[in-house]
Amino acid sequence: MSTPELQQDLHAIRISKVSKRYGDFPVLKEINAEVTRGEVVVICGPSGSGKSTLIRTINRLEEINSGSISFDGRDIHAPMKTRELNRMRSRIGFVFQSFNLFPHLSVVDNVSMSPIRVKGVAPDVAHKKALLLLDRVGLADKANAYPGQLSGGQQQRVAIARALAMEPPVMLFDEPTSALDPEMVGEVLAVMKSLAAEGMTMLCVTHEMGFARDVADRIWFLDAGQILETATPEEFFKHPRHPRAQRFLADLRH
Amino acid sequence: MISDILVIIHDYWLLLLIGQYPNGPLGGLANTLILSALSIALAFPISIVLALARLSKWPILRWPVTVLVYVTRGVPLLMLILWSYFLVPLLTGANVPSFITMLTTLVVYQGAFLSEVVRAGIVALGNGQMDAGRALGHSYLGTMRYIILPQALYNMIPSILSTFVSTIKDTTLGYVINVPDLTFAASQVNNQLLTQPFQVFLILALVYYAICWSLTYVAHRLERRITRRRAGLGVRLAAVIAPAKIVSEQS
Repeated sequence: MSTPELQQDLHAIRISKVSKRYGDFPVLKEINAEVTRGEVVVICGPSGSGKSTLIRTINRLEEINSGSISFDGRDIHAPMKTRELNRMRSRIGFVFQSFNLFPHLSVVDNVSMSPIRVKGVAPDVAHKKALLLLDRVGLADKANAYPGQLSGGQQQRVAIARALAMEPPVMLFDEPTSALDPEMVGEVLAVMKSLAAEGMTMLCVTHEMGFARDVADRIWFLDAGQILETATPEEFFKHPRHPRAQRFLADLRH
Repeated sequence: MISDILVIIHDYWLLLLIGQYPNGPLGGLANTLILSALSIALAFPISIVLALARLSKWPILRWPVTVLVYVTRGVPLLMLILWSYFLVPLLTGANVPSFITMLTTLVVYQGAFLSEVVRAGIVALGNGQMDAGRALGHSYLGTMRYIILPQALYNMIPSILSTFVSTIKDTTLGYVINVPDLTFAASQVNNQLLTQPFQVFLILALVYYAICWSLTYVAHRLERRITRRRAGLGVRLAAVIAPAKIVSEQS
């Protein structure tokens, strides 16, 4: 329906023939995939399948051995000045499994520091923005607390606010709820759902199949460094095509 | 015995305090403190640079510094002092004052030791903090400066302070190259009295003990506070810098 040019324009991230090895062990094998603007993609698969490695290559926290990953119309893995790479990274929000908040800074400083230091936003403007974002993740009253005083769920919500403070067009989530106590998973997923509802382009590695079913536009099923299946949640959960995906889903149900 | 000590202090306190100043170079306790303070003040920033170089991904930075640190840590301080005392004038032809020789040697030696402390502090933080900084778009050095070092140095305060204490003790070795410090002054006193070495050097030991003990005491207090902070009792970073404030907050 749409012309190729228009489609190109819609691609937020394009992964082309990406391969990565740790020594002799191939982690990613010639991965090809695309995320269009406004799309929510959930990456699932058994542990050790390369999900986290894949998502970490997108903002080049991991190097790749071959292939390319284009974002903003540029290959983030192309040789470039570190300043350029930093600029590209600042436009990709990243949420870690272990939160990685800065424990020596208050919550509001965690959120406002990078806009100030990286983008040169005036401190009072960044502070106000940070308070708004904290309000949005439901933590306005914790602005002056330190990360060590917060629960895991609260820390992860601060981490999401911190990533959003850079106003990235794309957000990556690397198992954002895996380190949380079960009763805190919901509050983090709720924030992610509201982000998705606002049209944020999101790529999430997660084991929360409920979230995948409700929020994802597409699911990538990864196993042994390859995307074996790309499908809508409905197709994927009702009629998984690949036998490995069928087994994975059967295992989840037990 | 105690009266002997009191008499010695009474007769020689000025020599022990400032050496032969103003009739000669500044010496005694004053010079020991100046030498210690300068060594620490110079060794500390150098140690951070050395630690960063050792953690660098560029071999051209990493290798020379690694060799320097290993050699320095593997050789007795006295050897280094004698080397710089005899070799530097031979190589440069310049007549370097013994104070400068001692200061330089101490800075290199303690810089190397401290750099390992700083490096351990950085490594102990793990990769998560660096990943988080880089993912937000901070440069490597920016992440180091605003995210990694504030935490690493804070966590290592007790170890850093104990290196400071050993720096103060190491200044005594300046005696062998005639740095006019407290030890030098005490031995001058001993040479004049001839008959009371035990009393003279007891005074010397007590003075060093008082200085080093107070620093060690501060280190212990800080260590306890950091342990408590890690346990989540929420003592803030600023509180360590302004201890008076935290006392008033707790009471």
